[in-house]
Amino acid sequence: MANSLSSGMGSAHMGRVTATPLAPRSPLPDTTAAIVAEDLRLTLGQGSAAVEILRGIGLQVPQGQRLALLGPSGSGKSSLMAILSGLERATSGRLQVAGADFAGMNEDGLARARRGRIGVVLQAFHLLPTMTALENVTTPMELAGMAAPRARAEAELTAVGLGHRMTHYPAQLSGGEQQRVAIARAIAPRPVLIFADEPTGNLDAATGRTIVDLLFDRQAETGATLLIITHDASLAQRCERVVTMADGEIVSDTLTTVKASDTLA
Amino acid sequence: MPETARIAAALPWSTAWTIARRDLSARFRGLRLLLVCLFLGVGAIAAIGTLTGSIEQALGSRGQAILGGDIGVNVWQRSLTPQESAAVHALGRVTDGIRLQAIVTNGDATAPVALKAVDRQWPLYSRLELKDGRKVGAPPPGEAWLSEGTLARLGARVGDTVAIGGMPVRVGGVIARDAEQLSEGFALGDTAIVGLDMPRRAGLTALGAMYRTKLRVALTPGLDPQATVDRLQARFPDAGLEYRTRDKAAPGTNKFVERMGQFLVLVGLAALVIAGIGIGGGVASYLEARRASIATLKVLGATSTDIARIYLLQIAAAALAGSLAGLVAGVLVTPLLAQALGALLPVSVGLLVSPTALASAAVYGLLVALVFAAPPLLRARDYPAMAVLRARVAPLKVARKALALPVLGGLAGILALTLVQSSQPKMTLGFLGGAAAMLALLALVGWGIRRLAARLPRPANPLLRSGLANLHRPGAQTGALVTALGFGLSAFVLIAAVETSLDANIRRTVPQRAPAYFVLDVPRDRADDFRRTVAATVPAAKVRLIPNLRGRILAYGPANAMTRVADLKTVPDGAWALQGERGLTYSDTVPEGNTLVAGRWWPQGYTGEPLVSVDQDFAKAIGLNVGDRLTISLLGVERSARVASLRRIDWDSLGFNFVLVFSPNTLRDAPHNLAATIDLPGKANAPTLLPRLVRAFPSSSVIETGSLLRDARDLLAQMSTAILAAASVAVIAGLAVLTGAIAAARASRTYDTVILRILGASRAQVLLLQLAEYTLIAAVLAVVSLAIGSGLSWLVIDRLFGFTWLPDWPRVLAVLAAGLLLVLVVALAGSLPLLRTKPAQALREL
Repeated sequence: MANSLSSGMGSAHMGRVTATPLAPRSPLPDTTAAIVAEDLRLTLGQGSAAVEILRGIGLQVPQGQRLALLGPSGSGKSSLMAILSGLERATSGRLQVAGADFAGMNEDGLARARRGRIGVVLQAFHLLPTMTALENVTTPMELAGMAAPRARAEAELTAVGLGHRMTHYPAQLSGGEQQRVAIARAIAPRPVLIFADEPTGNLDAATGRTIVDLLFDRQAETGATLLIITHDASLAQRCERVVTMADGEIVSDTLTTVKASDTLA
Repeated sequence: MPETARIAAALPWSTAWTIARRDLSARFRGLRLLLVCLFLGVGAIAAIGTLTGSIEQALGSRGQAILGGDIGVNVWQRSLTPQESAAVHALGRVTDGIRLQAIVTNGDATAPVALKAVDRQWPLYSRLELKDGRKVGAPPPGEAWLSEGTLARLGARVGDTVAIGGMPVRVGGVIARDAEQLSEGFALGDTAIVGLDMPRRAGLTALGAMYRTKLRVALTPGLDPQATVDRLQARFPDAGLEYRTRDKAAPGTNKFVERMGQFLVLVGLAALVIAGIGIGGGVASYLEARRASIATLKVLGATSTDIARIYLLQIAAAALAGSLAGLVAGVLVTPLLAQALGALLPVSVGLLVSPTALASAAVYGLLVALVFAAPPLLRARDYPAMAVLRARVAPLKVARKALALPVLGGLAGILALTLVQSSQPKMTLGFLGGAAAMLALLALVGWGIRRLAARLPRPANPLLRSGLANLHRPGAQTGALVTALGFGLSAFVLIAAVETSLDANIRRTVPQRAPAYFVLDVPRDRADDFRRTVAATVPAAKVRLIPNLRGRILAYGPANAMTRVADLKTVPDGAWALQGERGLTYSDTVPEGNTLVAGRWWPQGYTGEPLVSVDQDFAKAIGLNVGDRLTISLLGVERSARVASLRRIDWDSLGFNFVLVFSPNTLRDAPHNLAATIDLPGKANAPTLLPRLVRAFPSSSVIETGSLLRDARDLLAQMSTAILAAASVAVIAGLAVLTGAIAAARASRTYDTVILRILGASRAQVLLLQLAEYTLIAAVLAVVSLAIGSGLSWLVIDRLFGFTWLPDWPRVLAVLAAGLLLVLVVALAGSLPLLRTKPAQALREL
């Protein structure tokens, strides 16, 4: 694990390490890392209308790491997250997530690979409006064929402080409560990876802080790897590693804590 | 590594159902169009099937009473021989009877009746009900039971004395209900019941008269009706005896009910297909509204197969609910339908649950739902998970290969089910083919109108401009609306035009071509007397007298290899003349309206080998050629003749037409009477002719063509009402599609309306805009339906029936206008919520 980011890595500073993207075409170095990406490219549209969204991203994320993805709008961070979480397929490149080779999978294969291993929290919550909070949390575990999904969902909702709102529908919950349900839904199956796309973007500052605390607490308890997209620098500071993107490329990759530097050479 | 459990290839159905049920509104919100469409289509088919089933059941369960015995033995123009009679009487209790056509007179008033002479044993089962409440058997000697209609025509009452066949009888009572009516077969006029010896005493059963002996037997317990009939047939193979058993008491009625039922089921099926368009639209809007949920489920790990299963289960649940409601409504509405159809139905029917009819309606519903729901469902299956992050995703195309199984499989299922249930697969295929062609044509017209609307110059009037634009804007449902509403409205025009054309033919054309009177049983020795009587009243009247005999074909074919009819397992198509006794005649000359197509006609006064001339269609059906032989049974005696010629018969000539015409020397010696037609010149009215003929020829039956035509017109009107009722389901289904289209476009319409209101449009102007759009659609529908409906009606009337195409345009247009008005009212009612939209509130929600 210690070498997971060493290949092609730049200099490491005291408490703050800048990493450069992995060199293209190198063999995938560590199959136990949560994410190993190599030369990921995404082009949308064809011919003269083609737009290159991602231009050769290389990234390794060790298990259990908290990583913040920063960057201006249009820098490609949401697209990168979509590819890493299996929501979208890269145009080219190699990608291994939670031990599965994503590059060779079709849309359905990616859906199966997400089951129980990857949790996603989105800015607009994306709860299923026709289901109660409890049913929303139960559903991914049922899709994954897990045992006792209801009991686990109840426990998780209690853990996020919504034990009293289980039978409420999304429309009957506040924004903060909806995002708690979304976090419970992402974490209940005990995934190895959690992706959060601007989880506080639709919330006021105070609620946002509470939600982040909750997300980090639940992540710490489960030991999952967390990749969070944010515009909020203070939120990024709470992560062990900050990756900044611009114009479809990683422009900086920084370790922010001693714990993070422990994982780097 | 967390617990990932098994990564199954697809979600188990039970888990898919758990998720589907959660996402499904208890009141089927979003799927109501699917529900309503299936309710209508399945309800219509279930109602038709239940009604047909209950009639068939009533006919089957009351076979003994309808036949008046366990078996029936009939024979034309004679009584049973002592041997035949002894054999029949050995089987159980027997009632003897005679049936013939006769005329009842009361002074100058006359009425044709189906005379039914019965003995003291009659009826073997049940009793005859009279209007005064008496339950009786045969009338006392010198009395008759008459119908209310006959008495009304005669201006007579119970207790009066009238004459039947010239013989005075007292009216003893009025018939309320004769259970045997259905098994009596075709007759002119109502039934009149008299004692068995009355016809003989009146001279109505003289040798050669057209009467039928009818015996009914209550079998000794233990005897099986069919086995008994088989034994009788084997014992008297060529006696010309016709048999009936209680389980097939009224085969003609059974066949009519079965065919009418099948035809109405086809009309119902066409309505269900229209409902299918609504189902497709409803499912598409439902799944479109669930795009976000589908994408979210995919984010959570659902595969496209899982999505297909989850939403298939939801759609199936709604389809099942709609179909079940349709089945219940179909059963409950049957008594009302029976009441509405009234006299058209042969028996009164109650509430009945016919499992086969209901199962077939449900299967039709689910197959149609499958065919129309499959495309949107397969499209929804492929909504990408990415849709949660990106508002716009590339438009989805459904792989044709994926569609092939549900759509083609469903269509094949519908076709197979229809053909399995049909006794006339050719007609069924023709109907289905025609309906499919009509749908395809309408779809093409809808597409064309959309294209045309896009290319037309923009009108200066803003309302008209906006209305025109709505016909071709992206997402406009013009095609679906033209197809769905056009089908029902075209069917309305078609039915109205066919009915009024047939009616006009019966009312106008037929009377011009048909003789004014048909006369049966003119004694042979009084032919000249008959001509004189007619000429004395109407000198210019044209009288045609022909010998009229009855016989059955026993064998046919080349002399050395004749086919015996008794050995045939099935009667070939078009060879109806092989069944039972048929009318026979002889003539020195080729009959009027007939053309010789093969062989030669015998010379005047021919005395050689017995010869026969055969209708070419019938000859073709049984493979008979000139030179072959034909053996008939005439009053129980076999006669054989060589086929000398084939003729083409012009059935339109509406006179007496015979399949078999013999050389006079073949039949002349057999006892027989004459039949006559009387043509009156121009539109001559001869009120005295009928009473004078009846008085002069009391044993003959004079039938006015006018009363026959009145009956035919009544029957036609009732049948057309039944068909129109079934077709109106198609129009209602079309309206459901319209409502669905309005609901689906509500969001974009609300937006339009809000913008218009912000720009200063009044509510009245917004209403006018809606009116302009739907009036345009209605105008298009009017033209399309009128063109298609009247075109098809011309095909049916002119090409299929060979009649003159004479639609009653005011009536056809009135039917169409009523349909269009309904469309406009529903469309505007559906648009009313737009008028209530408050711009500020709508802007917040949009």
